[in-house]
Amino acid sequence: MSSQAGSETFSLAVKYAFRELRGGLKGFRIFVACLVLGVAAIAGVGTLSSSISEGLRANGRVILGGDVDVRLTSRFASADEQHWLRSKGQVSEIQVLRAMVGAPASDQRLLSELKAVDSLYPLFGSLEQSSSQNPDTSFQALLANDKGDFGALVEPTLLDRLEVKIGDSLKIGGLRLEIRGVISSEPDKASQGMSLGPRVIISSSALQATGLVQPGSLLRYHYRLALNTQTTIADFREDAKLSMPDAGWRITDSSNGAPGIKRFVERVAMFLTLVGLTALIVGGVGVGNAVHAYLDGKISTIATMKCLGASSGLIFRIHYLQVLVLAFLGSIAGLILGVGLAIIASQFLASALPVPAIVTFQAGPLVLATAYGLLTATLFAIWPLARARETPAASLFRDVVAKRRWPRPFYLALVLVTFAALVALAILTVEEKVFAAGFVVAAIAIFFVLLLMGYLIQLGAKYAPKFRIPALRLAIANLHRPGAATASVVLSMGLGLTLFVTVALIEGNLREQVQDQLPENAPAFFFIDIQNNQLPDFVGTAQKIEGVSDVNHVPNLRGRIVKVNGIPAAQVNVASDVKWVLRGDRGLTYAKEIPVNATVVEGKWWPEDYQGAPLISLDQGAAVGMGIGIGDTLTVNVMGREVTATIANLREIDWSTLAINFVMVFDENTLAGAPHSHLATAKAGTDAEVRLFRTITKAFPNISVIRMKEALQTVSKILEQLSSAVTATASITLVAGVLVLAGAFAAGHRKRVYDAVILKVLGATRRDIFKTFLLEYAILGLITSLIAAGAGWLAAHTVITEILEAKWINLPYTVLGTIVISVCVTLLFGLLGSWRALGEKVAPVLRSD
Amino acid sequence: MPQSPIVNLKSVSLTLKSDAGPVNILRGIDMSINAGETVGIVGPSGSGKSTLMSIMAGLERPSGGQVSVAGNSLETLSEDDLARFRRDNVGIVFQSFHLIPTMTALENVAIPLELSGRADAFAVAAEKLKSVGLGERSSHYPSQLSGGEQQRVALARAVCTEPKILLADEPTGNLDGATGELIIDLMFQLHDAHDTTLVLITHDDELARKCDRVIRVEDGRVTELDRQDAPELEGHEL
Repeated sequence: MSSQAGSETFSLAVKYAFRELRGGLKGFRIFVACLVLGVAAIAGVGTLSSSISEGLRANGRVILGGDVDVRLTSRFASADEQHWLRSKGQVSEIQVLRAMVGAPASDQRLLSELKAVDSLYPLFGSLEQSSSQNPDTSFQALLANDKGDFGALVEPTLLDRLEVKIGDSLKIGGLRLEIRGVISSEPDKASQGMSLGPRVIISSSALQATGLVQPGSLLRYHYRLALNTQTTIADFREDAKLSMPDAGWRITDSSNGAPGIKRFVERVAMFLTLVGLTALIVGGVGVGNAVHAYLDGKISTIATMKCLGASSGLIFRIHYLQVLVLAFLGSIAGLILGVGLAIIASQFLASALPVPAIVTFQAGPLVLATAYGLLTATLFAIWPLARARETPAASLFRDVVAKRRWPRPFYLALVLVTFAALVALAILTVEEKVFAAGFVVAAIAIFFVLLLMGYLIQLGAKYAPKFRIPALRLAIANLHRPGAATASVVLSMGLGLTLFVTVALIEGNLREQVQDQLPENAPAFFFIDIQNNQLPDFVGTAQKIEGVSDVNHVPNLRGRIVKVNGIPAAQVNVASDVKWVLRGDRGLTYAKEIPVNATVVEGKWWPEDYQGAPLISLDQGAAVGMGIGIGDTLTVNVMGREVTATIANLREIDWSTLAINFVMVFDENTLAGAPHSHLATAKAGTDAEVRLFRTITKAFPNISVIRMKEALQTVSKILEQLSSAVTATASITLVAGVLVLAGAFAAGHRKRVYDAVILKVLGATRRDIFKTFLLEYAILGLITSLIAAGAGWLAAHTVITEILEAKWINLPYTVLGTIVISVCVTLLFGLLGSWRALGEKVAPVLRSD
Repeated sequence: MPQSPIVNLKSVSLTLKSDAGPVNILRGIDMSINAGETVGIVGPSGSGKSTLMSIMAGLERPSGGQVSVAGNSLETLSEDDLARFRRDNVGIVFQSFHLIPTMTALENVAIPLELSGRADAFAVAAEKLKSVGLGERSSHYPSQLSGGEQQRVALARAVCTEPKILLADEPTGNLDGATGELIIDLMFQLHDAHDTTLVLITHDDELARKCDRVIRVEDGRVTELDRQDAPELEGHEL
């Protein structure tokens, strides 16, 4: 065909497509609704996460507290280093540590996130506080030493928990301070990581006076710079490498002021986008059904057009154009809804986010969501379109049971190309490609398993023994009738339910493990910053308390891996699940003997009196992730000194006991001389917990006490918020499944009415017909939910035991609940669709036939 | 011994509402049919023949009058009671077959037997299909059958429970002459075999003449015709 003829055919197709669309969207409601829902989920998640990332980027300097943040652990910058830093711009110094804060008035103590600031803090943004003093008084003035007492600003929760108020005294270490104000907004809070207690801000001079700054204290020194106008961030980083190669500091810049939050937001967004895509795929089944039903209704039109000389290609183009137009309209509506949902969600997230969650126009996610929508519609529409195209006009009239023809190879290839494009889009547009690929593979596998199960159910129903109860036999027979909704329901509801069960079981397992299944032998407390000279006293005091046992302690240092086999850590390729090992400072220790909750799985532990070159024992998982093993070397910067140690052995660590353990354990000879503190754990019964906390915090004010249950509650709270977002998105998949189910039942409504009328003519009562429908939907719902429960259980079990390597906890009620919900939903929508059929009078239906 | 009427209609009327006002379909019909009789009902299109049959089958409720079929006063029965009444007493053959398209021929025939709770529903259905010459087509769906075959399935379905009354509404209306004849022969054979009362609605004069009696319906009223002269001769009010 010449190109002119081709364009004429195309313009003809456009003309006919729009002419047919004049009939309205009737029959396409489910089609459009499915696309709106899926596109809205993806567009909403994308817009929100991009807006947050944009907010983090735009407010980078404020969140970070400078153009650049240079961080050192357990040591301050040397004179040379400080001189070099000051040559690059204005420098503000702050120190951050976890410390116990006591209230002499109420005799209460709690763990706080202590921050000591200098007079330049904050370089960017402003700290907002309220005090009883003149509102014009600067917070710096509030922190200053006034009549012998330094001032402190605290978060409101501290006032409640310590039962104190502005003007009361606080005790930190050996220093008494006065509460002079309440922090209402801290500009750089987001860059500080997970919080285990309320924030307390004091001056750097006050910190020195507390006595908490000891060798080996877990204290972080931050040097924030407002760079000179002639120095760019890239220049700074480059010069730092050249001029201060051995500083061992960690540099963060304002282009990514809160890398942890950014990473978290990106990962959550990726997961939610994949869940949204699942919703879209579930909706795709509805799209396919709608197109199929639409073409069934168009049989006579298509036949007539073919009789009048329309080619099969023209028939395909006319209807595909209609699908595209509707898909585009559905996608646009989805985008609008998605952005609306993002705006609503941002209001709920406002308090949890470090930056104002202002939803802005983000073209990328909207284009991506539209592409997903159009590709999904195409993927599911091609098959029925191509089949209708191939069907001879004469046989169109017998479509219900006519032999199904396969589309031509070209259209099969088109299905495959569209499918590949969808998969590629899902994987290539995210950072964690392996995870996305795993998700996509699992989703495809479950899709085909459900497809197969749908087929097997129909086959089973066809060859099932003929039960003597007519309602049961008819119900089972209805499952395999031509045009039965069985396959659609199993596929759409099944996919949604599988995802729902998977998410619910993973979330339930994690929650149980964090919250309710605290290992019996888990310690009650972690004690940090125990100084060398305090250790014997600390251990003696703790052991004397009734109900306290297993007081264990280990040396505690911080260090950062700077080289692996001599190659700078930044240039080493490691698996994403162990990137954290190289990311920053890690706790490390030294030991003579193998730690109690670990076993050496490769290599040999060093002798107790080992005096040779530095050796290191590494966690097996970390070694595998970094692609290293026995004999390889790690260079670790400990307190500014680089130590290159050879890996002597690999340990398998049971982290689930929550006992002390470290990824890196050095031989004693190498690190015993380095300044360090100790870390201890202790077990205690419920009564003893209170006594232990009070005694230790009173006797050793510098020792920070982390209560395991509280720390886990913090983790649990984060998990809960995360799971709400995931559950909400997974619910969209379920809603899409319900839509498809409702659509499939609605499509069969006319047939149901006809069947019911004929059955009545033949002597069936309404009760007989109702029983048949009831049994049919119950069987369908039950089988679908059993498959989904099984597939969801398998997926969740794999994630928990194989990927997270955690203990599996059976949650039968979650599974049972899903089954009950599924059966109820199927019954509800099935019977809603069939209810009218029961009441239909026989004569009018027969008369109109 | 005088034969007892199996169908007895007294002053039966039916008025349907329409946008243009009420339409009187049947106007005070009195008639009776004896057990074992074959009755042909003739009349022009729209005269009320099919409605009359619907009332006899309990598919339609009359606006007035009394309908007694096989000892049941239909006007007092609920919708479900009417369904049971049909199951136990009546077989119906429609002009447009009214098979369930998503059920095979065998399944279609087995429905009334299954509804009657017969354990041998499929065996009997298979036998009936065989008796109408469709033993080999039992697993076919209606759309895979010709019109004549579909009507034979419908006939097998109508008689499989051996009903007291067989109502046939233009059973050959959608069939060619030869196929129509085959169906009619089958119906009369079944009537002969089981002494079923046969009520046949038809446009076909020749077919009507095969019946014991011929009743003409016109403008909602019935007249009985002389069988030999039907339908030309004017009859008298029954």
